[in-house]
Amino acid sequence: MIRRLLSPDTVAITGVITGLVSLPFGWLTLKPNRLAGGTGLSLTDGLGGGATVIIVVLWITCLALSLFGRRRWQVTALGIALNLVVIATIFFTGPAAARLIGDAPTVARVSPGVGIWLTCLGAYIAIFSCRQRLKGFPLWQNLVSWLGLLSIFILLGTGWLDNLSVIVEFKNQQAQFVRQLVNHVVLFAGSVFAGTLIGVPLGIWAARRRRAEGPIFFVTNIVQTVPSLALFGLLIAPLSALSLAFPVLREWGISGIGAAPAIIALVLYSLLPVARNTYVGLSQLDPAIIDAGRGMGMSRGQLFRKIELPLSAPLVLEGVRTASVQAVGNTAVAALIGAGGLGWFIFQGISQAANDVVILGAVPIMALSLIVDSAMRGAVKVATPKGLGAR
Amino acid sequence: MIRLENVTRLFDNVAAVDGFSLEVDQGEVCVLIGPSGCGKTTTLRLINRLVEPTSGTILVNGRDVSRTKAEVLRRSIGYAIQSVGLFPHMTVGANIGVVPGLLGWGKERISARVNELLELVGLEPRQYAPKYVSQLSGGEAQRVGVARALAADPPILLMDEPFGAVDPLTRQRLQVQFLRIQRKLKKTIILVTHDLDEAIRLADRIAVMQSGRLVQHDSPERILASPANKFVHDFVGVDRALKRLSRISVEEFIRPTPSVTTSATREELSAAIGGHRSVWVVDGDGRPIGWIDRASLRDPGQLNDITVRADPAEMYVTGSDTLHGALSRMLGLGFKSLPAVDDNGRLIGEITLGDIEKATARGENMDHV
Repeated sequence: MIRRLLSPDTVAITGVITGLVSLPFGWLTLKPNRLAGGTGLSLTDGLGGGATVIIVVLWITCLALSLFGRRRWQVTALGIALNLVVIATIFFTGPAAARLIGDAPTVARVSPGVGIWLTCLGAYIAIFSCRQRLKGFPLWQNLVSWLGLLSIFILLGTGWLDNLSVIVEFKNQQAQFVRQLVNHVVLFAGSVFAGTLIGVPLGIWAARRRRAEGPIFFVTNIVQTVPSLALFGLLIAPLSALSLAFPVLREWGISGIGAAPAIIALVLYSLLPVARNTYVGLSQLDPAIIDAGRGMGMSRGQLFRKIELPLSAPLVLEGVRTASVQAVGNTAVAALIGAGGLGWFIFQGISQAANDVVILGAVPIMALSLIVDSAMRGAVKVATPKGLGAR
Repeated sequence: MIRLENVTRLFDNVAAVDGFSLEVDQGEVCVLIGPSGCGKTTTLRLINRLVEPTSGTILVNGRDVSRTKAEVLRRSIGYAIQSVGLFPHMTVGANIGVVPGLLGWGKERISARVNELLELVGLEPRQYAPKYVSQLSGGEAQRVGVARALAADPPILLMDEPFGAVDPLTRQRLQVQFLRIQRKLKKTIILVTHDLDEAIRLADRIAVMQSGRLVQHDSPERILASPANKFVHDFVGVDRALKRLSRISVEEFIRPTPSVTTSATREELSAAIGGHRSVWVVDGDGRPIGWIDRASLRDPGQLNDITVRADPAEMYVTGSDTLHGALSRMLGLGFKSLPAVDDNGRLIGEITLGDIEKATARGENMDHV
């Protein structure tokens, strides 16, 4: 029953309805300066009559296609129409923002309103369902997935959107952005790397010794259930005490706040996915294969290198992927205890009530986790031995 | 070649193998048989030290196995198991080349050996060597498993139900192939099975096990003819007389028989049939196509018309058939005799129900020896 309700068509229709609902909301917000509250402008007032007609017609086309489209070309058409909605919306936003800024005092800002966000959200909900339905047709699938995003990147690159508040904010803080981006990547990648170095041996240990299995997963499971903010907080006290007791630690940069507790917490978080997948990867191996390997005269090390490692590698990397995606998100919270990273913009924006600064942190974090996810998926594919691919 | 002396292995104070002694000669196929949990697999694994004995000694070539490093010992003993255990991430060729690789053979030598073995087990090397395990059928996988066990040309082969996981027809084919290969290679083989028919077909000697102990160790004929105790008697079953027939080739029971061609004259027919009840009719190439009953002699029709025709493939036996096969064919067709043919399908004689009965009786008498 739930399955039927969640069929791709239902998802697509939900997305399109979200898009239609977005139309009456405010599409652009004009603010006298970056912190002040602004006035919302409707679709027609903000983007202009021509843009309104195009966007409304596109959305109605999408509704018709999502309600009645069953064939492949219709699904493809729906996907392309949805991408056009996104492209049109962003495209018309650029000049509209320029026009509004031109008429206002120099410190005024223009940001996307609820309408634009809802339209993009709805479009991507429906695009996701098209993507599912186009499985097996990679060309169309990729076109539908990436057309809109690619266009947005091109518009960003050409300076078409430079009058939007988020971009203005980015230009003002470019150096800071790059620094925090690097910070973010170093924090999450370093932690996952260290977590893998510890988690893999833990997983192997659990798979080898029945007695170790229980305690290892008891501890890692508990760590996983502690909310990230709480874990960061919990580490502040002991680390402060340590750095007070041993001043040499302070020289190394280890203290109650900053990178040290963040890295420790992030490493702890990545232990469970990595250790658990390593454990499963090793214990799911067919005992007959291990028996055959031993019976043929492989030593412990040879058995591990030639049989266990290649056969469990895909699952281990799958664990590293989970840990990485999770770490990208958790690193955002680490900014609260002074570790830096893109989360810094989020908390900065919240404390200043400057939404555009929040977006400057949040959107890159989302993009980063998507990139990390697909890169790791690629790695899993590469690591999967050829003979197993047929399954 | 292989000797187990008073070997005991305890698992949690329960003896899986209990004071077990056995001797297997060079070039012999010894089949370990018994009900589930009788310790036959443990016994097998004791020999290549996958299981260590609690007490007792195991000698291979007169040398105590515990004095050889386990890995080194195992590389000199072929090992094939029921679930095959082929490595799914390697090609068929790489699977077979594992032990030669462990022994440090060169690449050329390994690939030549792989081709040789694939041919031996009847798989076309160029087609099969690059395949992955997931692309093989059950029967092919088992054959690759046997080829892999033979890879480094070990003098000894341990096989744990090597033909267990396939359908009966494929199993029979694999068994025939096994015998053909064994006649060529003359390995010393210990094979574990719970299938008595398989044991009878393959074994030079059968070792019957019960609760970790050896109950009887003898040739299949002797085991069937004179079971050592009630357990073996029950294990071989009430049809042991029939089973024994599957050890006996029809070869020595083929007796000359008269035959006529379809173009023979009446006189020739009468001469051929002589005192017999019937005569086989063969075609121009000497292949049996049917027979003529004595009663039909009075029938005035053509020779062709009074011939009772039968499907040759259904009724003939060859020298490689067993009495068991011949008997079941006779019962199936309702015949009292079957034509025997040579490799080219030409009639060379016949085998009769009476002869099979005599063979059975000869075996029965062994009970009283």
